[in-house]
Amino acid sequence: MKLKSLARSLALATALTFGSMSGGHAWSLEEAAKPYAGTTVDVVFLLRPGYEAIEAMLPEFEKQTGIKINIIKHPYENALGEQVRDFVAGGDLDAALIDLVWIGNFAENDWVVPIDKFTSNAELADPELDMDDFFPLVLNAFGGWNGKLYGLPLDNYSGLLFYNKCMLKEAGFDGPPKTWQELKDVYGPKLTGNGKFAYALQSKRNETQSADSFARVLWPFGGSFLDKDFKSNLLSPESQAGLKFRQELLPIMPEGIVAYDHAETVNGFAQGDIAMITEWSAFYSSVKDSKTSKVADCVGIAPEPSGPAGRKPALGGFSLAVASQADEKEQAAAYLFIQWATSKANAKEYLERGGVPARKSVYELPGIAEKFDFVPALVESWQDGVPEFRPRFAEWPEITEIVQEWGTKIMLGEVSTEEGAKELGTRMEAVLEKAGYYDGKKPLAQ
Amino acid sequence: MFVGPAVISLAVIGIAPLIYAAYTSFHFFNLTKLKHVEFIGLQNYAFVLTDGVFWQAIGRTFTVLGMALPVQVALGLVIALVLHQPGLTLLKTLARLGLVLPMATTYAVVGLLGQVMFNQKFGVVNQLIGFLGVDPVNWIGNSFNAFAMVIFWDVWQWTPFVALILLAGLTTVPGEIEEAAKLETKSWLTVLRYVQLPFLVPGLVAILILRTADTLKLFDMVFTLTRGGPGSSTELISLMIQRVGFRAFDQGLASAQAIILLAITIVLSQLYIKFFYREV
Repeated sequence: MKLKSLARSLALATALTFGSMSGGHAWSLEEAAKPYAGTTVDVVFLLRPGYEAIEAMLPEFEKQTGIKINIIKHPYENALGEQVRDFVAGGDLDAALIDLVWIGNFAENDWVVPIDKFTSNAELADPELDMDDFFPLVLNAFGGWNGKLYGLPLDNYSGLLFYNKCMLKEAGFDGPPKTWQELKDVYGPKLTGNGKFAYALQSKRNETQSADSFARVLWPFGGSFLDKDFKSNLLSPESQAGLKFRQELLPIMPEGIVAYDHAETVNGFAQGDIAMITEWSAFYSSVKDSKTSKVADCVGIAPEPSGPAGRKPALGGFSLAVASQADEKEQAAAYLFIQWATSKANAKEYLERGGVPARKSVYELPGIAEKFDFVPALVESWQDGVPEFRPRFAEWPEITEIVQEWGTKIMLGEVSTEEGAKELGTRMEAVLEKAGYYDGKKPLAQ
Repeated sequence: MFVGPAVISLAVIGIAPLIYAAYTSFHFFNLTKLKHVEFIGLQNYAFVLTDGVFWQAIGRTFTVLGMALPVQVALGLVIALVLHQPGLTLLKTLARLGLVLPMATTYAVVGLLGQVMFNQKFGVVNQLIGFLGVDPVNWIGNSFNAFAMVIFWDVWQWTPFVALILLAGLTTVPGEIEEAAKLETKSWLTVLRYVQLPFLVPGLVAILILRTADTLKLFDMVFTLTRGGPGSSTELISLMIQRVGFRAFDQGLASAQAIILLAITIVLSQLYIKFFYREV
């Protein structure tokens, strides 16, 4: 016994001695954070499940590092404005929460620091960071701009088709529709009636109208916002086909769909009034929870239906980046937080608490695909998504306002799809011209 | 010396921002493009003045005023006349207290209340009319209904204000004149027209001016109720300026819009003074 324990302690001592001799010391979060203990990192979070998950995990991080994370919560609609004002005024934020459509804006204004400043710093960078483990589409779309990487993806979405298996079965369908055409023509009529609707496409006049509604019908039909010269592509036959298709969906959707935001749509589905919705993966936890959903046992998940041009599902999500306005200490502390929150090691816990990590490895763990049945659809969607689903350049905040206004007018039938697209295109091009895309002042990056 | 603090605070919170707004209105001034701020002369103004969307928003704002104000005055007058009747002192005091409640409710709360009450699926209003056998109405998701909602809530919130001002006006009618008039004629309408109305005119002018100013800056209630939608059907001018300035971040353009709105307000107040104030 004694001999055994002696041998054990000898082995341990040897390991420690040699371990510390080779390469100085093994990296650990505690060690890396030591100089920054007591630093406070201010960061904006949204009122969504992915943020609650991180918040619940935070005490562990704060205990390990002594770094205090001060979370300022905003609903999505206010998050951009609050951050822009903070950065313009040189405020307190030490990390930026970046929706993929804000990245061009944040990067061009130098509000965020390229991540390689920290990943190349051996004191800070976790050797287990493993950038290749992020889904490349997600990492580049959410965190990258013009060939540089700024943020690491935290709260990641792909559009998915949520369907009510029970309603579909009752109507004689074994599975969800494979194509948009099928959804409208085959499933639509059978599932609509008696106060129930086959489908709902959230279309409220805010980012929902542009991202969830307008863009969702453009891409699968081969359309896009811009052509290769950055002129409007909304009058192309493909874009028009998509926009017209959206109008044809109206009879199988609840009345007043232009007032439906995520909450109304998810709620309608959870109440069993709507058979199918195309929503962000992030809403999975609310429709599967029997406390918030009457249909928790009936939920089926599939990738979004395909159009003539393929699946091209909605892509959205947020990365966290270090803010330039923070001082060196705060920047380092913010980086440690971001690295920890998006790490491979934490991905499983994050997923289990309701978040959706962008780490490939976590979805390969045994049991995960069975426990979270959205995983296969999500992973498939991230293979064929379009990064410029909504252009990510700095002009997007102006352009989305135009899309929201005219997109809604089209849906309401106040203008035809052609008239709406023409007006939208003219206004969109005016913004792009002012920005200098047409006289070569700015590269055509989106 | 005593007016010093007032003058200074007015300069700091009123005049300085106005000058700054005038300055930005002559520039390309986008919060997300502060590297590219440049003087562009009157371009922002030219854009606003020829922008159909701006004038539609102005049109909507005055439509709200034009439709809500007559209803508020009519209902307010009825309430004031009822409360002016002698007797039932306790009930009248309670009613007067009750009248203050809508006015004391924050605009944003009114909008949120509206959103909850008029929700198509879960709202109490659709439930109530359901008892009468009426199908659920899409109150907020339909352009026409949403606009009517804005007017409805404005009437709900501000009729009591009109009533209280008119009630105060009625109490200024000397008792002996009113009594004498009532002995002369049995028609309350005649009493109202020839005896009470002249005493109500100053109140009505005040109502007109205050309600115009309130409607031009009406923001919170509409923002929380409809956020300007569906489409732009309830986008009043204040919502539009906020959208351009703080959602598209084009502060230069938003400043130009605000200054044109200021010019319209000044012209309007001059007209009010010219046509109404002298008669008082």
